[in-house]
Amino acid sequence: MKTHLYFTLAPESLVASQLTPSEFGTYLAVGTHRNSNGQAQFFEIDPEWRTDALPMRDIERRCVAHSDGAPRKSTYLAIYRVLEHIPLSAIGNLHLATPDGRTLSIAPAASIPPDSEDRFHLYQEYCPAQPRVVSVLGPVRFCAHLTDSAQPVSVPKIVFSELKLGNLAKNPEATGLGNLPYPNIDHLRDCLREFTFKPSKPTKVFIRNVSDSVLYRTIRGGFYVGHQDNIKFYPMPSPDELEIKYHDWWSSALSTFGS
Amino acid sequence: MRALMFKYLRNRRFAKFYLSCLAAFFVVAFFMRPSAAHAVGEASTAAGQAVKETAFRFFGLFSDPRYTTLEISALLAVLGIAILGLLYALMLMRQVNAADKGTPRMQAIADAVREGANAYLSAQFRKIGPLIIVITIVLFFTTQSHETAFKFGRAGAFLVGSLFSWAVGFVGMRLATTGNLRVAAAARRSYGEAMQLGYRTGTVTGMLTDGLGLLGGTLIFLAFGEQAYEALLGFGFGGTLLALFMRVGGGIYTKAADVGADLVGKIEKNIPEDDPRNAATIADNVGDNVGDCAGMAADIFESYEVTIVAAMILGLASFGHKGVIFPLLVRGIGVLGSIISTYTVKAGPNDTSDTALKSVHRGFWIGSFISVVGFVLLGAFYLKFDAKYLAENATALAGFPGFDAAANSLNLPLWASFGMENTDMRPVLTCFIGVILAIALNKVTSYFTHTTHAPVQGLAKSCQTGHATNIIQGFAVGYESTVASVIVIAGALFLSFLCYAGTPALFVAYGIAMTGIGMLTLTGNTISMDVFGPVADNANGIGEMGYDAEAMEREQPGSYKRARQILADLDAVGNTTKAETKGIAIGSAVIAAVSLFASFIAIIAVGSEDKINLMTQHQYDSVLPSLAVAHPMVFIGLLIGGAVPFLFSSMLIRAVGRAAFLIVKECRIQFRDKEIWAGTKKPDYGRVVDICTSTAQKELIGPGFLAILTPIIVGFLLGVQALAGFLAGMIVVGQLLAVFMANAGGAWDNAKKFVEDGNYGGKGSEAHKAAVTGDTVGDPLKDTAGPAVNPLIKVMNMVSLLCLGLVIKFNVVAPTGENATRTVGVVVSLICALAIGWAIWQSKRETKELKEMEKEFN
Repeated sequence: MKTHLYFTLAPESLVASQLTPSEFGTYLAVGTHRNSNGQAQFFEIDPEWRTDALPMRDIERRCVAHSDGAPRKSTYLAIYRVLEHIPLSAIGNLHLATPDGRTLSIAPAASIPPDSEDRFHLYQEYCPAQPRVVSVLGPVRFCAHLTDSAQPVSVPKIVFSELKLGNLAKNPEATGLGNLPYPNIDHLRDCLREFTFKPSKPTKVFIRNVSDSVLYRTIRGGFYVGHQDNIKFYPMPSPDELEIKYHDWWSSALSTFGS
Repeated sequence: MRALMFKYLRNRRFAKFYLSCLAAFFVVAFFMRPSAAHAVGEASTAAGQAVKETAFRFFGLFSDPRYTTLEISALLAVLGIAILGLLYALMLMRQVNAADKGTPRMQAIADAVREGANAYLSAQFRKIGPLIIVITIVLFFTTQSHETAFKFGRAGAFLVGSLFSWAVGFVGMRLATTGNLRVAAAARRSYGEAMQLGYRTGTVTGMLTDGLGLLGGTLIFLAFGEQAYEALLGFGFGGTLLALFMRVGGGIYTKAADVGADLVGKIEKNIPEDDPRNAATIADNVGDNVGDCAGMAADIFESYEVTIVAAMILGLASFGHKGVIFPLLVRGIGVLGSIISTYTVKAGPNDTSDTALKSVHRGFWIGSFISVVGFVLLGAFYLKFDAKYLAENATALAGFPGFDAAANSLNLPLWASFGMENTDMRPVLTCFIGVILAIALNKVTSYFTHTTHAPVQGLAKSCQTGHATNIIQGFAVGYESTVASVIVIAGALFLSFLCYAGTPALFVAYGIAMTGIGMLTLTGNTISMDVFGPVADNANGIGEMGYDAEAMEREQPGSYKRARQILADLDAVGNTTKAETKGIAIGSAVIAAVSLFASFIAIIAVGSEDKINLMTQHQYDSVLPSLAVAHPMVFIGLLIGGAVPFLFSSMLIRAVGRAAFLIVKECRIQFRDKEIWAGTKKPDYGRVVDICTSTAQKELIGPGFLAILTPIIVGFLLGVQALAGFLAGMIVVGQLLAVFMANAGGAWDNAKKFVEDGNYGGKGSEAHKAAVTGDTVGDPLKDTAGPAVNPLIKVMNMVSLLCLGLVIKFNVVAPTGENATRTVGVVVSLICALAIGWAIWQSKRETKELKEMEKEFN
C-alpha cells in the first residue's frame, strides 16, 4: 500500500496515511465509525519530501497496515509549526472535505489571478491561525503583508482564501446582502467602516477564531498558500462546473451549516 | 382461534377475496331486491293505500309521474358525464404511462418509491378491511328503516363509498409514483412536456374523484329516488371513514419519514436532501405520495360525497325532488368544466415557474367560468317552480314567501329570479358563492403561505434573530390566518343566508349545502393542483438521485443544469399549488359539516332519519330553540366537542414523534456501514419503509376509534342536545385548529425556502438553521394533524347522523320514542368508553415488533 503524506490545516499537522486523498478526506470528516462530522481541508505533500525540522525519519516503520490487512488511516508526524517547514514545491493538490466526507481535489493553477479592484476584501485564514479578516489589500498583497517579518505581527507562511463580500466589497453601507451567511453583519460593517476612519490600517480582524465550518459557497476565487510573493493559487471550480462535474460534493457543500 | 381469524383477515389475498365476496353479495342483493320489493308493492296495493306508501322499488323514479322525461334524461346524462370523466382519466393515464421512462437508474429509484407506496396501502387495506366489514354489518342491523332494501342500501353504499374512496387514493398514488418518473425523464427535454405530464398525472386522480363521486351519488339517487338519503348516508360515511384512515395513516407516514430523514440526514449528518445514502430517502418520497396523493384525494373525495349527501337530503326536505336533482346536475357541469379546463393547462418548452403557475391558475379560471355559465343556463332552464310543482311538494312552498297562488307567481326579487318568470336562481347564486369561496380560500392560503407575501417574508426575517423568534412569529402568522379564513367562510355563509333570508332555516341550510357543491365544482382541477405537488417533488428527488450529470453533459452540454432547473421550478410550482388547495380542503370540510349539521337537526325534528322526507317546516323550526347555547347540556357538549380536535391532533403528532425516533435510530445504524457511507452499497430502504408502514398502521387505531366512538358516547350518555353542542364545538374548534396548523406549517416551510433562495444569509447561515427548526416543527402540523382534522370533522358528523335515531331513543338523559330505555345508552356508552380507553392505551403501547426494533437499536 502506498503511503501518502498529508498536511491538514486545522489542526495544523503532518500526517502519513495509507488512505487515498478521497478516503482520507472522509476519514477526517466523519471518523472510522461515521459518528462524527466536520469539515476538513488538507494538502497532499510530495511523499518523497523529507525535512529534518520535523520528525519524519521513521514514517515507513510507523505507517504500516494493520495486522488484518486494513490500511493505516493516520500516523501523526507533527502537530505544530508544520506549514512553515514545508516548501511550496512539495505542496501538491488541495483537498476540501465536506462535513459528511465528500472530498473535492483542486490542483494548483499555473498563475495567480490579478487582484480585483474592489475596495474591501474578506479573508478566511486557515493556517497557522483561523481568524476571519477584512482588508483593503488584494490577495497577493494581503499574503505579502501577513508574511512580512518587518511587520509587528507576522507569520512565516499562510493558507487563506478570499470570501465573497457582495455589495459590501464596495460600500460598507450597502444593502441587498441576502445571500451572505456571515454572522453579525453589523459588526462586519463596523470593521469595514474602520478603514474609512483609519486609512493607514490595511487589515482588521472580523472574527478572532472561526470554529464553525466555512461555507464553501462563499469562497471567492480560490485558496492561496505562500509567503511574500511566493504564492500557490488553487482556483475553486465555477458553480456550473461544481454542479455538473462534482455534483455530490457540491450538493453536500450546500447542505452544510456554518459561518 | 382469534389469532387464526385475524391471521386470515389480514392475509392480503384473503382480504381481497372477502371484500370482493361482500361487494358481490351487495350487488346481488341490490338487483334481487327490486323484484321482492315489487312483489311486496303489489301485495301492498291490494292491501290498501296505507301499506302502499311504505312500498319501495329500486329505480322507481323511472316510473314516477312526478319526474319528467327530461329530468330522467338529465340524470342519465349526468351518469354519462361521470363515465366520461372516468374515460378522460383513463385516456390521461394512458398518455402518462406511454411517456418516456428515463434511464434504468431513474427507474430503479422510482420502482423503490412505488413498491414502498404499494406496500403501505396494501398493509393499510388489510388493517382496516375487517373494520369496514364490521361497520358494514353494524350499519345493516342499526338502520332504523323496516324496509330491508334500505338496510342493504345503506350498508352496501357504505362499502361502495369506502371502496371508491380507497380506489381514488390508491389509483391516484399509484399513478403519481408512475408519473414522477415520466416527469423527471421529460425534464431532460422540455419544460412544457414535464409540466404537462405532472399536471395530467394529478388530473387523473382529480377526474377519478369527480367521476366516481358523481357516479356513486347519481346511481344511488336513480336506484333509491327520494329515499336516496338512506343509502347516501352510508355512501358518505364510507368515503369519509376511509379518508380519515388515509389521511391519518398517510400523514403519520409522510412526516415520520420526512422528519426522520431530515433529522438524521440534514441536521445530524449534514448530508443533502434526497441523498441516496440516507436510508430514509425512499420512505420520504413514498410519504409524499401516501400523504399528499392518497390522503388528499380521499379527503376531497369525501368532501365531494358529503356535500352532495347534505345537499340531496336538504334539497329533498326543502324543495322536493328538484332540490335533489339540481346538485347532481351542477356536479355534472363541474365535471365537464374540469375536463375542458384541465386539458387547457399547458406550458411551452422554455417556460418558467411563473408562466407554469399562470397556466394552472388560468385552467382554474376557465373551469370556473364554464361552471358559472353552466349553472346560470341550468338554473334558467331547470329551476322553474310553478303552482303545480308547489302543490305536489308542499314543503317547497315555504321557500317562496311571496308566492301568489292566484297569479301563479313566485314573486321573487330580480336578483333571485334574474328577471325570469317562476324561476328561482338562488341555488345558482349559492353555487356561485361556493366557486368564489374556493378562489378566496386559495388566495387567503396563498397570502399566508407564499414567499411573495408579507407573512412568510416576515417569518423569514425573524429567523435572523434565532429559532425562538421564528417559532413565535409562526404561531402569530398561523393564528392570524385562521381569522382571515374564518371571515371568508363566514362571509360565504352569510351571503348564502342572505340569498334565503325570510325563508325557514331549512332553506338556508340548503343554500349553504349548495355553496359546498359550488365550492367543489372544480374538484378535478383542485386535485390536479394538489397531486402535482408530490409528483413534482418526487420527480426532483429522482433527478437528484437518478440523473447522470456527466453523461447528460457529454450528450448535450448544458442539458443537466437545465433539466435540474426545470425540476426545481416544477417543484416550486407544485409546492404553491399544493398549499393553495389545502385551504379548499379545510373550507369544504366546514361547509359540509355545517350542511350536515342542518341534516342533523332535521333528524332530531322527525325522530329518525327514515322519516326525514315526511318532515314539516314546523317540526324543523320547533327543534331550534332547544339547541340554544344557554342550555347547559348544549354547552357541555360544546366544550367536549371543542376539546376533541386537540386530543386527536396530539395523538397524531405524538405518533409522528415516535415513528421518527425509530427511523432516526435505524438510519444511524445504517450510516455506520462504511460502504453505505461511501456510496458503494445501497442502504436498506425497505427497512425504513417497513418501520413507517407498521407504525402508521398501529397509530391508526387510536384516532380512528376516537373519531367514531366519541360522538356515540356523547350522544348516548349526555343526550341529543349535548351531541348537537358537541358537533358545533368540534366544527368551530376543528376548523380553526386545522387552518392554524396548515397555514403555520406552510408558512414555516416557505420561510425556510425563502431563506434558502438567498435571503437573510441563505443556505447554511444561522437564519437558515432557525428556519429549518421552524419547518421541522411545522411539518407534523401541516401534513399530519392539520389535514386529518378535516375528515375528523366529517366522520364525527356522519357518525352523529347515523346514530342519531338510536341516540334519541336510548340516550341516558332523556330517552324518547317507542321502546325507549336508558339501559341501552348506558351499555353503549360503557362499551365505547372502554374501546376508546383501549385504543388510547394501544396507541401508546409499543408493539412486539417495535420493541424488538428498539432492542436491536440499543
